[in-house]
Amino acid sequence: MPFLEFIRWQDVIDILLNSYILFRLYVLFRETYVFRVLTGIAFLWIFQRIAVFFGLILTSWVMQGITAVVALIIIIVFRNEIRSVLQAKNLRAILWGFPQKSVPTTIQVIVESVKALSKRHIGALIVLPAKENLEDVVQGGIPLRGLISKEMINSIFWGDNPVHDGAIIIEEDRIAKVGVILPLSYKNDLPSRYGTRHRAALGLSETTDALVVVVSEETGKVVVAKDSKIKDITSNAMFTKILQEHMGIHEEENVYQQKEKFKMSIAAIISIFFITGIWFSFSKGLDTLITLEIPVEYTNRNPVFEIVDTSVNAVRLHLGGSGALIKSIQPEQIQVKLDLGNAVIGQNIFSITQDSITLPPGIFLRKVIPSVIEVTLDETIKKEIPLQVDWVGELPEGLILSEIEIDPNRVEIIGGKRILGNISTLYTEKVHLDNLKGTGTILANLALTPAALKIASGSKDKVRIVYVVKPRPR
Amino acid sequence: MCEEIKDLTPQNPAVVFSIKIGKVSCFTSFDPVPEKTFIYHNWFHRDDPSTKKRLTLQPPRWATYSTIQLRETDKGPWRVEISDQKGNLLRILRFSITD
Repeated sequence: MPFLEFIRWQDVIDILLNSYILFRLYVLFRETYVFRVLTGIAFLWIFQRIAVFFGLILTSWVMQGITAVVALIIIIVFRNEIRSVLQAKNLRAILWGFPQKSVPTTIQVIVESVKALSKRHIGALIVLPAKENLEDVVQGGIPLRGLISKEMINSIFWGDNPVHDGAIIIEEDRIAKVGVILPLSYKNDLPSRYGTRHRAALGLSETTDALVVVVSEETGKVVVAKDSKIKDITSNAMFTKILQEHMGIHEEENVYQQKEKFKMSIAAIISIFFITGIWFSFSKGLDTLITLEIPVEYTNRNPVFEIVDTSVNAVRLHLGGSGALIKSIQPEQIQVKLDLGNAVIGQNIFSITQDSITLPPGIFLRKVIPSVIEVTLDETIKKEIPLQVDWVGELPEGLILSEIEIDPNRVEIIGGKRILGNISTLYTEKVHLDNLKGTGTILANLALTPAALKIASGSKDKVRIVYVVKPRPR
Repeated sequence: MCEEIKDLTPQNPAVVFSIKIGKVSCFTSFDPVPEKTFIYHNWFHRDDPSTKKRLTLQPPRWATYSTIQLRETDKGPWRVEISDQKGNLLRILRFSITD
């Protein structure tokens, strides 16, 4: 696709880096109010861009104002929440880690609750239905529909609770009923250590496909009844495995973790799409042209050489890019540099190429005028040159300027060999005759032409002129 | 440098000459002159050569001069380089043409 030709590797890094920053903001703030407000700001911004696109001046202006104010408010109002998120985490967690939400599963809650009940010898009867409906088999019971928790289960079977003798039925993550009466088994060969709870558990398992957990009040031992069989539970791992098999969960990785992974993947994809959209709106949208005049910098000049002349001092760059980027261009971000490393004394011709020009990201060079620059170099030498006064104006009538003396009458000049070779006299700045009435002394500056010439250290840049004015003979 | 030569004598020698005078002369005198020879008066307006005059010298001593007519564009600093026939620079005389 044609637009892909303009994407550089820096642009890809630009998009990925900012996508990751956005993704990390989501990971860090997703459970907070800050994230909700940030989402609101994002929608406001999108709305504002749409308003700008359709030329809704007032709407876009209002949206821009609201976005700015809300962005400021979010920092003030939610400063404590932001601080707590950032302070609670180290740098690694902020940049890389994924906060794990420790939400216990139904199986974990049941295992933990049963462990606690067993330890304290509190009798319990927990029914976990499978596919078959228990309505016709069990009797009584009080509907609860409460979310399952360790505390809830412990309190139900607490000895003073009116429903502690009955069974509870757990459906998904809720305690559906409490105080339920289960059908008793009529088996005669049950071991004597089993009591009524065990007989009830076995009874239900004989008539349905439910799993029943029993905690013995006398011994604190845990058993499960399923498919007319009673099995002793000897460890938490074994108990967990039996519950997982009953509930049809075969892998350790539970649904919650899978959901989390799915959410993160969606968030990552949305981040990339969002940032890519913003990037294109900034860097590619509404192509704009601008012309800038940029001074040419010369680098790597041999210190012995001196630039005595250039065909131009600045070049005009015709640049393109999105309106937003063009507006934000600062002239100091753009540089035109010519490498004089291979230049020689005399005239050198350089072509201005893309490599000579440094541009901000997202800005493209369309044309450069002129594309060729002539640079004349010379070797720097010192030369002692005689001085002469550059008189101007008119002497008052009847006077003659008969003689002058200049102190010093020579000066040492530093400059290009080619220039100094053609200069045999250095002149003062213009000295006016009009006010000379008689013999006297004046000070005059030296006129350094061309400007590339310099007075050597030790030589003076002012001279003293002693002049003799006489009356003109009749 | 003088405004004019009268009876082989320079009149009103100076270092600044008004354009109104209309001409300026470079008077040179040599003593002794061992043999017939030539000298050159090289006139420069700033660093641009203006004119070059070849003048004869006769023994035993000799005075000679060269003159230029002044135009409006001749204002500014001038010098006359006096050299022998071998090109050796004998003297530089400096002056200005002003209003």
